[in-house]
Amino acid sequence: MANLNMYQEEFHPSPLVHTWLEFRKSHIAVLGLWVLAFFISMVIFGPLIAPFDPLMQNPNAFLIEPAWDANGSIRHVFGTDSIGRDLLSRLIYGCRMTLGLSILLVFLSMLVGVAIGAIAGMSRGVRSSILNHLLDSIMAVPTLLIAIVIVGILGVGLVNSMWAISLALIPQFVHNTREVVRAEMQKEYVLASQLDGARRFHLFFYCILPNMYEMLVVQCTMALSVAILDVTALGFLGLGAQPPSPELGTMLSEGLKVAYKSPWSIALPGSAIFLMVLSINVVGDGLRSALRNRLSH
Amino acid sequence: MALLDIKNLTLEIDGSSGWMKALDKVSLRIEEGEIRALVGESGSGKSLIVRAVVGAIPEHWRVTADRMTWKGKDLLTMSQIERRKIMRSEIAVIFQNPLLSLDPSATLGEQLMESIPGNLVSGRWFWQRTKKRREMAIKLLHKVGIKEHKKYLGAYPHQIADDIGQKFLIACALVSSPRLLIADDPTRGMEITTKTQILKLLTRLNKTRNLSILFVSHDLLAISSMSDRMTVLYCGQTVEDGKMSQLRKRPLHPYTKALLDSAPSFRKDLAPKSPLAALDGTIPTLQHLPIGCRLGPRCPRAQKECVRTPELRHVQDHFYSCHFPLIREREKQ
Amino acid sequence: MTALLNVEELSFIQKPGGSWFKKVSGFQLEPLSFSLNAGETLAIVGENGSGKSLIGKLLVGAAKPTSGNIYLNGQKLSERNLKQRCLSIRMIFQHSNESLNPGITVAKILEEPLLLNTQLSQPDRLKKIDETLNLVGLLSEHMFFYRHMLSDGQRQRLALAKALILNPQIIVADEPFAALDPSVRSQTINLIMKLQQDLGLGFIFISHNLGIVRHISDRVLILQNGKVVEKGKTDAIFNWPNNEYTEKLMKSHQSLVTPK
Repeated sequence: MANLNMYQEEFHPSPLVHTWLEFRKSHIAVLGLWVLAFFISMVIFGPLIAPFDPLMQNPNAFLIEPAWDANGSIRHVFGTDSIGRDLLSRLIYGCRMTLGLSILLVFLSMLVGVAIGAIAGMSRGVRSSILNHLLDSIMAVPTLLIAIVIVGILGVGLVNSMWAISLALIPQFVHNTREVVRAEMQKEYVLASQLDGARRFHLFFYCILPNMYEMLVVQCTMALSVAILDVTALGFLGLGAQPPSPELGTMLSEGLKVAYKSPWSIALPGSAIFLMVLSINVVGDGLRSALRNRLSH
Repeated sequence: MALLDIKNLTLEIDGSSGWMKALDKVSLRIEEGEIRALVGESGSGKSLIVRAVVGAIPEHWRVTADRMTWKGKDLLTMSQIERRKIMRSEIAVIFQNPLLSLDPSATLGEQLMESIPGNLVSGRWFWQRTKKRREMAIKLLHKVGIKEHKKYLGAYPHQIADDIGQKFLIACALVSSPRLLIADDPTRGMEITTKTQILKLLTRLNKTRNLSILFVSHDLLAISSMSDRMTVLYCGQTVEDGKMSQLRKRPLHPYTKALLDSAPSFRKDLAPKSPLAALDGTIPTLQHLPIGCRLGPRCPRAQKECVRTPELRHVQDHFYSCHFPLIREREKQ
Repeated sequence: MTALLNVEELSFIQKPGGSWFKKVSGFQLEPLSFSLNAGETLAIVGENGSGKSLIGKLLVGAAKPTSGNIYLNGQKLSERNLKQRCLSIRMIFQHSNESLNPGITVAKILEEPLLLNTQLSQPDRLKKIDETLNLVGLLSEHMFFYRHMLSDGQRQRLALAKALILNPQIIVADEPFAALDPSVRSQTINLIMKLQQDLGLGFIFISHNLGIVRHISDRVLILQNGKVVEKGKTDAIFNWPNNEYTEKLMKSHQSLVTPK
């Protein structure tokens, strides 16, 4: 008997726990979460796991095949690239760089975006509509394009491309925050706390923010996948991270030169990006449907 | 012969903690030309009964009944096609919140004319038939007391008031001249003056067309002013069933008494501001129903036996299901 | 002796507005005056759109009156000072469900007015929350609950607790019982009447349920299209209505009460 329920205890989880329970029901989403957790552990523990220095060149080992190939060696599990750097270490550091940077970027743009969105949502009149329409029109342009334009102005480089991407991500957060804040402001409990004499600051942090976490989580996962794609794309185009640094996009473009001789040197970073984005999207989708299910109860 | 005869209807819903009996052996019988009220608070399963009758129950719920017949024909074993035929021509349903059950993108006139079945309109050419339909629609509107048909036939649902919407839905329901009208809480949230209008309309239809009405509501005031017989439900169990006048004068079940006492309007002798009689506790949710008599934990007269589900007993045609009905006191006195 | 609450010539005119395409006609609340003593209940009755909810909003300060004054204990309430007003006049909303924040626990919901309007320390606040919960018949354990874990009746009690926590003198309730089931409704009515007796609250009750109005109110104000058509003692109005509209209301109520 799997589920012997002796006492009919009333079980009412808090909103976050409830969302988690709904999320757990979908196996694919949980699998995605595991994959994502794997990548995040790479970000945190990468230097401990990686067998070599990612920048160390080994003149004795150019273009060694991966371990599963007949010519491969177990010393370099994923083989080496054209100047003898260990691909496994580079991949681990690459995940660290790409995913870690993206998470940082998303966090940064979330802070800025939510702040602007809250101001836009809680104010009325010209100020609000200027913020709104201006940023909405920016949202019509793809983030990558904005990032390229910004990089074009600021100049090539990792730091510049980071600024560019986080600036490009902000409008989404502003838009969604503003929508939620607008909707919440109409509700009676906000009116009730206004009558209690709540100031705007208090109103936002006590009344509206607790109801916004879920939107933020979903929005963050979406922004994260966009950020990863943008970081790697800029790296691939040579606008972001510069060649020696182990960034997945940069690694892809380097591998392209020797693609015929060593296809694994583009297949491996490529599939790492693919898995990362896929897992984030699966998790985000699972979260969204979990929220929908929770609200429908 | 009864129009609709339901005996021991049980409906089970698949939940996280196994099958839950949302309806537990409910019986209901509607005679030709009577107004039968179905009373219950939220969670009593009154809307589920309506859905079971009209056949709008999801496939994975279990419906069992000793008997569920429409004019002697078994509804449960009937094919879908036959059942729909009955639903189309003989039973009509109106819902609460009329404006939500109307199509917002079409005018009232279009909706009403469309609901008139083709075999009722004669005429060779389509313009003749359209004209005929229009005439019929206007006639129907007059019947339900909407006089300004010109104004309302061209109106969209968001332009009209609640009570007009409800009258309009009644008109739609009357198109196929049904034998039974199921009104699922038609006066919910309405103001007292519009409420009385709708109730009067229903009563008049009952008298003039010999239309049976199943009036589902939790509003005792509305029910008591118009219905002949009443069935009281609590958490999916039949609590009491009998003539309205009898029930109001002498309820046998503690729950019925509590319900009647909860409406201060019924008791003229009640001193203003005196405390009202009320049951303790709240209505249990479907997942946490008590065993036996479901009123048990809230009932002032509950004793050990109440963990067994009481049988339906009766005094003449007044049915009740309680181990300790209010009848005993009188016998002792 | 001055009355607890005195409302003089309060009026409200909504400007006809809307966009160019869709004109919204203005609503007008004609000047009205009434007074309320401690421990007394005033019921405001009228159909939808008669402005009865608006009166409640004007009293608690959610809307600004066009003209007229509100005096509390003989002291004029200014429009600006919401804090002073919310310490003495509190509102219970029509849908207890929507007036409680779904994202935070009961303790936080109740703590909010205390945080904003009192200088109590954290332990004192908790004590006050506990006391108020017990006062409305909830348990101390409910502090850790979220809104969705409570039943309708409990939510209504919580809304009442939120109103009572600042020890107000007047409670304005906009259809507080409309969404409740009969058996739970009686409990809540009893609770409110008991609290009124114990605490000497003035109670303004906005409703269209005449049965309850008759039972709990001392005086009635009947509104039609923003105009007071009749006001007076409950008993007198229910038995000897003077106005045509009032009579119509009473008749329809009576027709429901008398059996077929």
